[in-house]
Amino acid sequence: MAALQEKKTCSQRMEEFRHYCWNPDTGQMLGRTLSKWVWISLYYVAFYVVMSGLFALAIYTLMWTIDPYTPDYQDQLKSPGVTLRPDVYGERGLQIFYNVSDNTSWKDLTQTLHTFLSAYSPEAQEENINCSSGQYFIQKEFHAPNHTKFSCKFTADMLQNCSGLTDHNFGFEEGKPCFIIKMNRIVNFLPSNNNTAPRVDCTFLEKDHKDFKPLEVDYYPSNGTFSLHYFPYYGKKAQPHYSNPLVAAKFLNIPKNKEVIIVCKIIAENVSFDNPHDPYEGKVEFKLKIQK
Amino acid sequence: MGKKKSEVYSVEVNGIKDIETTDEGDGKEKYRGLKNHLGYKKEHQKEELKKELDLDDHKLSTKELEDKYGTNIIQGLTSTKAAEILAQDGPNALSPPKETSEIIKFLKQMVGGFSILLWAGAVLCWIAYGIQFSKDKSASLDNVFLGVVLALVVIFTGIFAYYQEAKSTNIIASFSKMIPRQALVIRDGEKREIPAEQLVVGDIVEIKGGDQIPADIRILASHGCKVDNSSLTGESEPQSRSCDFTHENPLETKNIGFYSTTCLEGTATGMVINTGDRTIIGRIASLASGVGNEKTPIAIEIEHFVHIVAGVAVSIGVIFFIIAVSMKYPVLESVIFLIGIIVANVPEGLLAAVTVSLSLTAKRMAKKNCLVKNLEAVETLGSTSIICSDKTGTLTQNRMTVAHLWFDNQIYQADTSEDQNAQIFDQSSATWASLSKIVTLCNRAEFRPGQESVPIMKKIVVGDASETALLKFSEVIMGDVMERRKRNRKVAEIPFNSTNKFQLSIHETEDPDDKRFLLVMKGAPERILEKCSTIMIHGQEQPLDESTAAAFQTAYMELGGLGERVLGFCHLYLPEDEFPDTYPFDVETMNFPTSDLCFVGLLSLIDPPRSTVPDAVTKCRSAGIKVIMVTGDHPITAKAIARSVGIISANSETVEDIAKRLNVPVEQVNKREAKAAVVNGMELKEMSPEQLDEVLINHTEIVFARTSPQQKLIIVEGCQRQDAVVAVTGDGVNDSPALKKADIGIAMGIAGSDAAKNAADMVLLDDNFASIVTGVEEGRLIFDNLKKTIAFTLTKNIAELCPFLIFIIAGVPLPIGTITILFIDLGTDIIPSIALAYEKAESDIMNRKPRHKKKDRLVNQQLALYSYLHIGILQSLGAFLAYFTVYAEQGFKPARLIFLRSEWEDDNINDLEDSYGQEWTRYQRKYLEWIGYTAFFVAIMVQQIADLIIRKTRRNSIFQQGLFRNKVVWVGIVSQIIIALILSFGFGSIAALNFTTLRVQYWFVAVPYAIVIWLYDELRKLLIRRYPGSWWDKNMYY
Repeated sequence: MAALQEKKTCSQRMEEFRHYCWNPDTGQMLGRTLSKWVWISLYYVAFYVVMSGLFALAIYTLMWTIDPYTPDYQDQLKSPGVTLRPDVYGERGLQIFYNVSDNTSWKDLTQTLHTFLSAYSPEAQEENINCSSGQYFIQKEFHAPNHTKFSCKFTADMLQNCSGLTDHNFGFEEGKPCFIIKMNRIVNFLPSNNNTAPRVDCTFLEKDHKDFKPLEVDYYPSNGTFSLHYFPYYGKKAQPHYSNPLVAAKFLNIPKNKEVIIVCKIIAENVSFDNPHDPYEGKVEFKLKIQK
Repeated sequence: MGKKKSEVYSVEVNGIKDIETTDEGDGKEKYRGLKNHLGYKKEHQKEELKKELDLDDHKLSTKELEDKYGTNIIQGLTSTKAAEILAQDGPNALSPPKETSEIIKFLKQMVGGFSILLWAGAVLCWIAYGIQFSKDKSASLDNVFLGVVLALVVIFTGIFAYYQEAKSTNIIASFSKMIPRQALVIRDGEKREIPAEQLVVGDIVEIKGGDQIPADIRILASHGCKVDNSSLTGESEPQSRSCDFTHENPLETKNIGFYSTTCLEGTATGMVINTGDRTIIGRIASLASGVGNEKTPIAIEIEHFVHIVAGVAVSIGVIFFIIAVSMKYPVLESVIFLIGIIVANVPEGLLAAVTVSLSLTAKRMAKKNCLVKNLEAVETLGSTSIICSDKTGTLTQNRMTVAHLWFDNQIYQADTSEDQNAQIFDQSSATWASLSKIVTLCNRAEFRPGQESVPIMKKIVVGDASETALLKFSEVIMGDVMERRKRNRKVAEIPFNSTNKFQLSIHETEDPDDKRFLLVMKGAPERILEKCSTIMIHGQEQPLDESTAAAFQTAYMELGGLGERVLGFCHLYLPEDEFPDTYPFDVETMNFPTSDLCFVGLLSLIDPPRSTVPDAVTKCRSAGIKVIMVTGDHPITAKAIARSVGIISANSETVEDIAKRLNVPVEQVNKREAKAAVVNGMELKEMSPEQLDEVLINHTEIVFARTSPQQKLIIVEGCQRQDAVVAVTGDGVNDSPALKKADIGIAMGIAGSDAAKNAADMVLLDDNFASIVTGVEEGRLIFDNLKKTIAFTLTKNIAELCPFLIFIIAGVPLPIGTITILFIDLGTDIIPSIALAYEKAESDIMNRKPRHKKKDRLVNQQLALYSYLHIGILQSLGAFLAYFTVYAEQGFKPARLIFLRSEWEDDNINDLEDSYGQEWTRYQRKYLEWIGYTAFFVAIMVQQIADLIIRKTRRNSIFQQGLFRNKVVWVGIVSQIIIALILSFGFGSIAALNFTTLRVQYWFVAVPYAIVIWLYDELRKLLIRRYPGSWWDKNMYY
């Protein structure tokens, strides 16, 4: 095998590069003459215009096939996620630590709740109708104004002691804090196949707290249920004013100065809370530490 | 003695071995040639060899020698003295090749090519993790994992490449098994056998027929000693050795025997004058190793390609790093983007695929008798533009054969093909009967016994080349020669010698009634004619008059002009009365007539061309390859063979031919008019490099005759100055520097010495020139197919890269993960890219010019642009369509996705709203992201199927090429689909791999785009075929 590549010096390379950038003999810039550049640019412009058109057409067709009211598939949304308010995250998941005597340590937490509940004020819920059936609110037709469907009212006052109306501090001050539990919306989701309403159940995480007394909780609305007339959800387009039903849990016997883990599960036929990968499916876990 | 055993010696891969020899004498011959790009040291070293040898031992008398080396001719060295010298000079063996250590070779694979980029990616991953970890102890291990995967990719592809290389090296290792040799040496006054390695200067050695000469020796006494110096000089004519100083030049003088040459017959005693690396062979060996082993054309091409891809990867990476940072992404995240961009840009599996393709071709070539030592040489052969071929053995059959006969005033042609079964000349003439008798009887060659079942042409014969030819010739035509000889018992014989220039024998005749003796004689025609007074025409003796003598002259000249060795035959029936039964023939006194004989005829012998060669030369010519013959043979013979194989075509003339035709002096002929040239070694010696260049440029058909081994190197360098890729064939040790110097050295597998095989890149197992042509064809095909493979592999890089770019710029959830990309590059795409190596040629690749090594690049601008900016972009669009389809159908319409990234990736948001108002937890989103990865992956896979099909051809329509002719491509397609199915359905549950099962329809989203790709490429090819030379052709043909 033999010498094919002569070593070039740096200056030779630079010279070659300069020659490549502008070749005075042939009038070539970067290997092409100006007119060649124009031609090739024109071609690329045309090519990309056609390609973009094609892609736009494909996307348009895609959107055209998609139902505006319900998603085609809900492969990931078999069971709703559950979230907690107030939501402060630590290194691993929710972590609510505060000091009863230091009101700055929980002011933010109650503020979060107030903000969250502002969407549940009577004014915000004005567009929605009052429901009391406790049955699935099935609407086949669009009877509501603007070709929509009715949504049921859920106002903060339904949370009674945890509404922030009577106790502005949501019990944080006395060490018996309220937490609001929200179930994620899923279009056309029915929590159970019979008429049992889904219920929130909060406990200490068993394996860590065997020695504690069982957690005492006051649920609001009573029983900690999400009334069935809030289901099914028909999607943003059909129910633009829909708001998730909530359950507030007031923990009455939290040991002080001790980190506890509480899990709130949703008990319903179609809600599963045992997905090992998803800690927020059908349940919400959080650490709570109240200092005194 | 078909096998020549020569020393296995060092041919080292790179590096200059410093052989500062002690002699500083001035060289008689100035070495010309490669002054330009060789360092002083190399030049000096060559100079060293070129002045041949400043050896004066051959001029010294025995006494002077004894003094010089402190030895005694009778007693030899003393053991102690020998041990002393041995300690000082080292063993009498050639330095073993300075092998690059295996570790270095392995490490080279680990850092070569794209490996550096991937290492950088892996290290960045770990650094990123380190930073994350220092901030947050619970940082996810994803980056560590990715880093490990990248490192594994590098290590495994490295091991793979190393293994492939080692495998091809091993093939050749079998050739060079060293057999320890013994030498008979006189020490302390007694003879003893010692390993040849322990010989030292001054030792007195004895050699006999069959031995290999153990070191360079000065002959002190000899008995009919003949040596075969072919491994050194290339000429296989046995040369006698004696103690006489016959020539100034140590290479020519008779009293020096050279290391590794073979003693054919006789015995000799000699004094060792040089050992090991200081022997002539040793010097040639170090010269060969000094000739740098530089990069093969394909290695340069691949390097060029790696540069392009790495350049693209690094510049896009850096640009987007800057963009990301200026878009307020944290630096750490930007670094992770950078890794993604690098991984997407680097075709991890490509170099492995290239290696496999090359080794597949190497295997295919091995089947066709081209054994490739260096995988990359596979392609080098394809880009060859000049072949410097040896004559003997490569172009010719390497055996003398009867080519023509002249009797009855007529020249007859004999069959010179390999089996000679079609002798068609007129055998009815009575003259032929007499001639055949002489040919049969006046011949000392014999078949070695015990070969009854062997075809005549393959039988082993004891005797010299001409006699062998005559023996086989008569055996083929008349059958059992030995039996005929028995019936015509030989009573006296004078063997051929160079003073008589004839051979004579006297026989009883087979006719029991005929009591006369028959004297038969053969020899140099003019000598034979002198001894004749009559000539046999049609069985009748006629007086030899002037007209018949003139006819003889014409025939003799004509046959001689064909480069053939002509022999004359005559006979005489001795009168019964003068030479009765009991007559005592005495060869010393020659008591029988040796004049007034009857001239019977002429036979001419030639080493005929192999029957496949003319065709192969024609093929080379139409493939634009110049075939140059370089031989040590006589110009006339060389020219004749060149003509008969087509190296000089029928209608082209040399300057001398033109001069002869026009009847003008050679000087007056316009050299440009002559297509052909026959250059003599002596002329070559006088030429300046410029003149040699002129010869090489101006003449298309060139024969170099009477060249010395060293001149071969000059010729090769001359060719390389023309920017040609030069293939050189050779067999002797003396050829090894030229073999090494050539872009591709081709050694002969049968006749070649180990040294030649070591220096060569390829070994022709059947010594047949025609095999080179098939090699060229394979080499060209693999170049075309590698283009296709690379185009195929590069295309998807854009589809892998765009997701990152869109991800950074538009903030959509990541469309494809880094690990998923690796599964495309090293999973689905591997077999298809190798399958393209099996693609048949699109047109007759042997009808186009060899590629210009500086202009016709493997990866040119057109290929890169078309792959990246046309098909690549199309593929990206198709893949994005799949991505958007998945997200939209699951709830996230495209508009919602834009700038969703920060929320999407926030682990603390577990109620992210989609386009329908549904709320998603982080895990639900992540899983959807993996569905997106899988869909994107499948879309790329589907479009790569289309890409694979379009890459089958570069110019022809896919239907012209045949969709199903290359079955392996279909194996590739099926493998793509199966691997994707396994990944999606089989490994869908392994979270770390980020694959999920996919709804059936998502497998087909990209199909329309696959069809668009195919249609677009068909259009491209159609326009290229329709409008050759057009703007389109120039810009779109890669």
